[in-house]
Amino acid sequence: MLAARATTRTVLRVRKFATAVDAAGVKVAAIDHGQPTSSVTVLLKAGSRYDTKHGVAHVLKNFAFKSTNKRSALGTVREAELYGGVLSSSLTREHVALTAEFLRGDEQFFVDVLASYITSSKFTPWELNETVLPVVEAETHAAQSDNAARAIELAHAAAFRKGLGFSVLAPTHSGITSDDVQAFAASAFSRGNIAVVGTGIDQGLLTKLVEQNFSSATASSAPTTSPSKYFGGDTRVASQDGVQTVFIGFGTSGAPSPELAVLAAHLSPKPALKWSKGTSPLATALPPQTSVQTVLLPYSDATLFGLLVQGATVEGVREASKAAAKALKDAAATGGVKADDLKKAIAKAKFTAANAVEDRDGFISTVGSQLLSGSPSSLDSVFTALDKIESAAFAKATSSLVKSTPTFVAVGDIYGLPHRDEIGI
Amino acid sequence: MNIFKAGPLGPSLAPRIRRSKSLFRWIKPLAEWYANIAGYRQMGLRYDDLIVEERPDVKKAISRLPAKEAYDREYRFRLASQCSIVHKSLPKEQWVKPEDDVRYLTPHIEEVVKEDQEREKWDTIAVERK
Repeated sequence: MLAARATTRTVLRVRKFATAVDAAGVKVAAIDHGQPTSSVTVLLKAGSRYDTKHGVAHVLKNFAFKSTNKRSALGTVREAELYGGVLSSSLTREHVALTAEFLRGDEQFFVDVLASYITSSKFTPWELNETVLPVVEAETHAAQSDNAARAIELAHAAAFRKGLGFSVLAPTHSGITSDDVQAFAASAFSRGNIAVVGTGIDQGLLTKLVEQNFSSATASSAPTTSPSKYFGGDTRVASQDGVQTVFIGFGTSGAPSPELAVLAAHLSPKPALKWSKGTSPLATALPPQTSVQTVLLPYSDATLFGLLVQGATVEGVREASKAAAKALKDAAATGGVKADDLKKAIAKAKFTAANAVEDRDGFISTVGSQLLSGSPSSLDSVFTALDKIESAAFAKATSSLVKSTPTFVAVGDIYGLPHRDEIGI
Repeated sequence: MNIFKAGPLGPSLAPRIRRSKSLFRWIKPLAEWYANIAGYRQMGLRYDDLIVEERPDVKKAISRLPAKEAYDREYRFRLASQCSIVHKSLPKEQWVKPEDDVRYLTPHIEEVVKEDQEREKWDTIAVERK
């Protein structure tokens, strides 16, 4: 019944997506829903997986909106405040993103601010020491006090070793100099490495502004990384404070498959209604005061899938880990997921995929990474791929997933938290 | 830099003199002679070591020196204070040569002063609505 309904709704699903064009060698895409604010994001394929020295991408991200040949750091801040805009930068394993959000009509100024970072950043040693590195260290400290974030970082290191395995955050005493950042930026800022995504702005206008402002971007060689390979392994790290955390995961190399999104949707114990219990196989098996989140991290050439188990006590986490491992294995077994459950999971996965591109951040990261990888796919094609999943294909994909070496991370009381062999994976 | 404002570098006619070629040609030997008899080179110091450092802007400029230059500056001060204690100049071969007497700190001070001036400008800016 669910499948039948999905097909009748096709007409409603069709939605206009940003089209990509080339402006001065820079890929540009924009979408305009007529909202009163606009945003422009410059996405650079220079995330932490391209690190030439550990943490250089993190430092580069924090160097955003510092002094350029055009205006000083203070000038950028004060002028942006006068326009009432918000400037921000963010970092993932794949991308560095610089975003300007502003009222419609101020695009001239904000595109110029973004472009001057790309074309004429100074990367002075004193800005590095006085303003950039303290923030980098504070961000690293903040992330290290969060056991879940730590577990995910360690899981990446165990799963992919290099490239995607590199931590997003710079080590606290990274020894990064302004010359390192400059050298990394020189390759990161090459034209083919940049995508500009706009929301609430006319495509033609954005293309024109990009052509005007980004024309002096260099055409040097982009940063390189080796293709990701999944390894897996165990890591246990003692942590005195925070909740007890266990990550049980598996990974694959190659492009992300839709089956994993369905598996994540099937296992996720997050209920559809707050304070109620979901119908996921995990939801009923969890002891009180423990939580399990599904973690699905698709990258351009690999995927990390896992369950993040957290709880106040080691006993609770032990029980919850066993339940999580069992649910994961049951789902991967042949016939482990009933046809109705599969349909339910597919519907949930479709909603997650559609909802992800609905807000600004999700839209920018989805469209931006597609622009940079050169394989634009619409939401419709994602839906089609999810709709096509049959029980047999799902079982095949999930069983091959759990056959790979598991990635097991325990953060907290390492003597109390379970070991991988104790939870049966 | 406004020469009538009390900056860390003090008033200077040097930029005006440098602008006129003939005046520069006349003044330069005089300046060199003055720098040599001023005596700081004989104590192993450079001209920029004499800039008063008890001001926030100069302190900030000093903090921006590369590690090697900051170390060398400290070493020159030790040497000079030793010379001062024993009431002697350095042996002649250890005097700072005119070509080594570079303005290593001035560019950093100018940078800091420029930043301070810009901050003042932004703090007192009058915004006009268009």
